[in-house]
Amino acid sequence: MADTVLSLQDARLSLDGNAGRVDILKGISLEILQGETVGLVGPSGSGKSSLLMLMGGLERATGGQITALGRDLTALGEDALARFRREHMGVVFQSFHLIPTMTALENVATPLELAGAEDAFDRAAAELAEVGLADRSDHYPSQMSGGEQQRVALARAAAPRPDILLADEPTGNLDGATGEAIMNLLFGLRDRHGATLVLVTHARELAERCDRTIRLADGQIAPDLAARAAE
Amino acid sequence: MSLRLASRFAARELRGGLRGFRVFLACLALGVAAIAAVGTVRESIEAGLSREGAVILGGDAAIGLTYRFAEPEERAWMEARSEAVSEIVDFRSMAVVDRGGDVERGLTQVKAVDSAYPLYGEVLLDPAMPLSEALADQGAVMDRVLVDRLGLSVGEGFRLGDATFRLSAVITREPDSGAGGFGLGPRTLVRTDALEGSGLLAPGTLFETSYRMRLAPGTELAGMAAAAEAELEGAGLRWQDRRNGAPGVSEFVDRLGAFLVLVGLAGLAVGGVGVSAAVRAYLDGKTGVIATLKTLGADRATVFQTYLLQIAVLTALGIVIGLALGALVPLAFAPVIEARLPLPAAFAIYPGPLAEAALYGALTALLFTIWPLARTEDVRAAAIFRDAALNAAGWPRPVWILLTLALLGAVVGAAAVFSGLATLTLWSALGMLGAFVALIVAADLARRAARRLARARALRGRTTARLALGSVGGPGIETTSVVLSLGLGLSVLAAIGQIDANLRGAIERDLPDVAPSYFVVDIQNDQLEGFRTRLDANPAVETVESAPMLRGIITEINGRPAAETAGDHWVLQGDRGITYSAAPPEGAVVTAGEWWAEDYAGPPLVSFAAEEAEEMGLEIGDSITINVLGRDIEAQVTSFREVDFSTAGIGFILSMNPAALAGAPHTHIATIYADAAAEGAILRDLADAYPNITAIRVKDAIERVTGVLGGIAAAVTYGALATLITGGIVLIGAAAAGERARTYEAAVLKTLGATRGSILANFALRSALLGLAAGLVAIFAGGAAGWAVTTFVMSTDYVFEPVSAIAIVTGGVMLTLLAGLAFAWRPLSARPAQVLRARE
Repeated sequence: MADTVLSLQDARLSLDGNAGRVDILKGISLEILQGETVGLVGPSGSGKSSLLMLMGGLERATGGQITALGRDLTALGEDALARFRREHMGVVFQSFHLIPTMTALENVATPLELAGAEDAFDRAAAELAEVGLADRSDHYPSQMSGGEQQRVALARAAAPRPDILLADEPTGNLDGATGEAIMNLLFGLRDRHGATLVLVTHARELAERCDRTIRLADGQIAPDLAARAAE
Repeated sequence: MSLRLASRFAARELRGGLRGFRVFLACLALGVAAIAAVGTVRESIEAGLSREGAVILGGDAAIGLTYRFAEPEERAWMEARSEAVSEIVDFRSMAVVDRGGDVERGLTQVKAVDSAYPLYGEVLLDPAMPLSEALADQGAVMDRVLVDRLGLSVGEGFRLGDATFRLSAVITREPDSGAGGFGLGPRTLVRTDALEGSGLLAPGTLFETSYRMRLAPGTELAGMAAAAEAELEGAGLRWQDRRNGAPGVSEFVDRLGAFLVLVGLAGLAVGGVGVSAAVRAYLDGKTGVIATLKTLGADRATVFQTYLLQIAVLTALGIVIGLALGALVPLAFAPVIEARLPLPAAFAIYPGPLAEAALYGALTALLFTIWPLARTEDVRAAAIFRDAALNAAGWPRPVWILLTLALLGAVVGAAAVFSGLATLTLWSALGMLGAFVALIVAADLARRAARRLARARALRGRTTARLALGSVGGPGIETTSVVLSLGLGLSVLAAIGQIDANLRGAIERDLPDVAPSYFVVDIQNDQLEGFRTRLDANPAVETVESAPMLRGIITEINGRPAAETAGDHWVLQGDRGITYSAAPPEGAVVTAGEWWAEDYAGPPLVSFAAEEAEEMGLEIGDSITINVLGRDIEAQVTSFREVDFSTAGIGFILSMNPAALAGAPHTHIATIYADAAAEGAILRDLADAYPNITAIRVKDAIERVTGVLGGIAAAVTYGALATLITGGIVLIGAAAAGERARTYEAAVLKTLGATRGSILANFALRSALLGLAAGLVAIFAGGAAGWAVTTFVMSTDYVFEPVSAIAIVTGGVMLTLLAGLAFAWRPLSARPAQVLRARE
C-alpha cells in the first residue's frame, strides 16, 4: 500500500471579517496517498480553495493538524513553510499569479533558483518547451494570452519536480478548448513525474479524471463521500 | 454644454474623496509653500527696512563723504534744512590692549559720533546705561566679539592709535548697523572729539563721514535730494534717505530671495513628478469608467474636461494649503527669524508673494498633468472588454505638445520677470531641463541595464539580485518616477555642494598660497621710508609692496554722467582706490595704449584696468571725471592694463600720472609677504612703531568673507532641502503606490518557496539600485552645474569635490532604502492565501 502524503486531522479554519468571525472549514479529516489524484469539488463558498491553501501551508489552520510528507505543517513557521514548499510542492492558481516584472523564462526559473539549482535556467527552458512555449520565453506575462500564462504557471509549478501538485481551479479563467489543453498538460506532467495531485474544480469531467473525488459543503466533507475520503 | 456635463461628472467622481491624491496634494502644497514662505520673508524684511528706514539710516536723510569732513558751507546747507544734524566718522583701526608688555591687538571698525547721535533709535548697552554716559571721559563701547577677542573687561583701558580709551560697556544693539556695508572688523563706538591726538584722522587717512539729518515732518525727500545734488554738485557726496535706508542690504535680500525662489521652483518641478505620477495612477484606475462613459456616448472633450476639472479642483486645494503654510509658517517663526536677523522685519501676510507662488503652482500643476490628461482621449470604448491600461507609449497629439511648451515658457517667463534675474533664470531653467532629460535617459538606461543584467548568466542562481534587477528593469513607471524625483532633488543639492566647495576652495585653499600676510593702510607719507626700511631689515619678510592711495568716485565719462555709458557697473558703485605712478608698476602688462613718460607733467592721464574698461565700454582716448576729495579731475584714458584681483595683492582700477594728484593729501597702502610663523612679531613691531596704521591680517579677512559665504550657502541649502523633502514625498508616494504590487509579488514568491529574509533583501536591493542611479546622475548634473558656475561666473578652475558627492550618493541610496523598507512591512507580513485569493 502507498504511503500517506497528506494527512488532515480535524483541520479547522476561521477568519475574522467585518461581519464577525466566519468558520470556513469546520473540522476536516482526510488522507491522501502518494501518486493519487484527488479532486476537491463542491459549491462556491464550500471551502475547497481554503482547504487547498491549508494543504499548501499558504493559510494557517486555526485548529487540528495537517501533516505533509510526515511534517506537521501547523508547527512550522512562515519561512520554514516556504522552504518546505520550495522542496516539495508546486501550486497552480486560477489567476495564474505570474510575477509581472519577470519574463516567462524568469518566472519558471524562480522556484529552481530559490531551491539553489545550478542549472535553473536550462531546466526552466526545457520546462517551457514541454508546455509548448519555447518561443515565448522572453515575453512578459502582460504580452501573453490567459492560456499561455497558465501554461507558464504549470511549467513553473512542475519545474522543481514537486512531490505534491496543488491546483486551484486551473481552468476557471480559460475557455473550454484552452482549459482542456491545460488539463491535458497538467495530467500529463503528473503522469510523467509521478507527483500527487490535488485539484480544486467545478468541472465534473475534470473531477472524473481523478482517482478520487472529495465533495465539500459548508466547510465540511459531504456525508455521502465522507467515508471514502477517510479511506 | 459639455463643460456643464463634465462638471457634473467631475463632482460625482470627486465624491469618492481624496484617496490616491495625498501625494499630489503634498507635492503641490509643499512646493507652493516653500516659494510663498521665501517671498513672505523677503517682503517682510523689505517692509521692515522701509518702515524702519530712518532708524537704519540713522536719520531721515544722510550725506556721505569719503576721506573728508563736510566743508562749513556744506554743513550750513544741511543745518538750514534740518531739525538736527549728527556727524559720524567711520574708519578701520587697531584696538590695542597693553597689559604690562603683554599686548593684544584686534582690527576694529571705529564709529566716532557726536553728542547728537543717534538721531533715531537707541544704542543698547550691557551693562545698561545711556550712550552719552558710556562715551563720556574717553569712554568707548565695543561689540562683544572684539571684547572677547581682546580679553577686555568693562572698566579696562585700550588704545586706538595714540589715544587711550576705557571700555564702559558692550554693544548689544546698534540701531543703524544695517546701513554700513561690509565691515572688516567688529564695531567700536567713541566720541569724535576723543580721537584728537590719536593721529587716526590725519589728512589722507582712509575714513568716511556721514551727516545724518532729522527733518521736519512732511519734508519732501525727493525734492531735497535733487536740491542737494544741484546745490552741492561736484562735491562727491552720496545722498541717502529713509525711503531706502540700507540699499545694499535691500538689494542683497532681494537678490538672495529671488535666487531662493528659483531653488523653490526646482522643488516645484520635483513635486511635478509626483503630481504627474499621481494623476497617471488615478487615470489608470479610471480606464473602465472612461470606457464606460464613451460606451454611453460621451465624446472626447467631455471626458477630457471631466478629468481636467477634477485635477483643477485638486490643484486649487493644493495651492490653498501651500499658501496657508507659506504665509503662516514665517509668521509663526517670526520671533525666531527676527532674533537671527540683524535687520528689522515686519512680518505679515503679503498678497504679492502669495499670488506669485499660486501662479507658479497652477502653471506647474497644469504642465505636469496635461500629458496624462491627454491620454484619456486614447481610451476607446472597447477597453471595457479588455484589461487595457492608460500607460500606452507614444506621443500625444501636437496640440498637447504645443500647450506643454507654452506652459513651460510661461513658468520660465514668470520666474524671469518676478525674480528680475532673467539670465540666471534662463540658465537655471536650461539646467533643470537638461537634468530632467538626463534623468529620464538615465532611468531608461538603468532599466535596460538592469534587464540585461537580470538575464546575465553570472547572476543565475543569485535569486535576490536577479529578482531585484528584474524588477528595476521590468515594466511599470516606478523606476522613472523614483529616479526623476529623487535625482532632481539630489542634483540641486549636488550643484550647491560643488559650487560652495569650489567657492570656498578658491578663497580658503588657493588664495592663502598667493595672498600676502598683511594688508596695511594709512601709512603716512613721512612714515613710508621708515616703514619699508624696517621691514626690509626683517629676514622673515619676503616682499613688501606699497603704493600711494587716494579714493575717488568716477562721476562722468566723456562729459556725460558715468551711468549713461557704463550702467550700474560695480566700479561706479561708490568710491574706488586710485594710485599714481610715473612708470608702469613692476610686472604690469599694458594691453592697449601707452604709459606716460616718466617726466610727464601735462593734463591728467589715467591707465584703466583692461577687463573692467571693456565691461564699461571705455576706449583709449575717452575722458573720465573723477571726484577726489571734493575736487573734480578730468583725465584722459591713455592705456589699459591687466589687473589681477584674485591674489589679494595691490591692484588699482585707476592709476594716474603723479602730477595729476600732486598736492592731494594721501597715504600709502602696503602688502607684506612674510613667513606665517613671524606674522605676530611683525604686527607687534609695526604697531609699536606706527600706532596710527592699520594692519589687516589677510587670513582674518578671508575668514570673514567665508563666514558670509557660509551664511548664504546655508540659506540656499535650506531652500534645496525643501526640494529634497518634496523629492522624498514623491519617493514615499512611489513606494506606497508600489506597495500593492510588492504585496502580491511577495505572496507569489512565498508560494514558490522564498523566505521573508530573501524577499526583504530583494526589496532592499531594488530600492538601493534606484537610489544609486539617482545619486550618480545627480553627481554628474551637480558637477556640470558646478563646472558651469565656477568657469563662467566665478572665472576660476573647477575642481570636483568628492565629499559632498559621496554624501549625496549615500543619501540617495539611504533615502530610497528607507522609503522602500518603510513600505515592505505589509508585503512581508501578509498571508499569501489572502493576497492571492483577493486577486482571483
